[in-house]
Amino acid sequence: MWNKNKSLYLSRILTDVCAGLALIFALFVPEGAKWYNYISEPIGILADHNVALPLIIVIYFCEVMAFVVLWSLHKLLGNISKEKVFIPENTSCLRAISWACMLAGFSMIVLALWRAIFIFAAFLLVFFGLVMRVLKNVFENAVEIKSENDFTI
Amino acid sequence: MPIIVNLDVMMAKRKISSMELAERIGITSANLSILKTGKAKAVRFSTLEKICEELDCQPGDILEFRKE
Repeated sequence: MWNKNKSLYLSRILTDVCAGLALIFALFVPEGAKWYNYISEPIGILADHNVALPLIIVIYFCEVMAFVVLWSLHKLLGNISKEKVFIPENTSCLRAISWACMLAGFSMIVLALWRAIFIFAAFLLVFFGLVMRVLKNVFENAVEIKSENDFTI
Repeated sequence: MPIIVNLDVMMAKRKISSMELAERIGITSANLSILKTGKAKAVRFSTLEKICEELDCQPGDILEFRKE
């Protein structure tokens, strides 16, 4: 029977799988960037320049942000499995996820100077970061309400 | 917080221990300790009523407002 513990376990496994995939992906970034430079349509302010190097830098930066997100998710799921949901540490995790998405989005905007298509990825990342920020605000209030409830005698 | 809980003073006057009071009003000693140390953010009327009943006092004897 499917229950919340199994769902939590699945989420933790998926987080670990994503971390593994991100690690493997990191190994092929330089080759991938050269290949992308070769096949992509050059549309952008700096379209006539080679996109490989900026792409490598931005992708590695996004990889770091991805690991920040995955580590935060790992901590968040760990706390939830210990029945510690509305605690300030979880709010910090959501804040970290939000900032990581926003920063990755801004780095994609820089990349859009070479290839304009990355503006869509940037928009999605910044939008997701904004959603996470609102969620963090909701969580922050929930932590306060829980604390008030816990300290009502 | 400008609201001061003088529960320990009242308990000393009535010569009652924390354990005994907690048992009589039906809360845990951990919660009574939160109340005594001023960490509580709110007090239910029902809890206040039981405390006043057991200590034979008024809410004003337990709670005090002091300007910061």
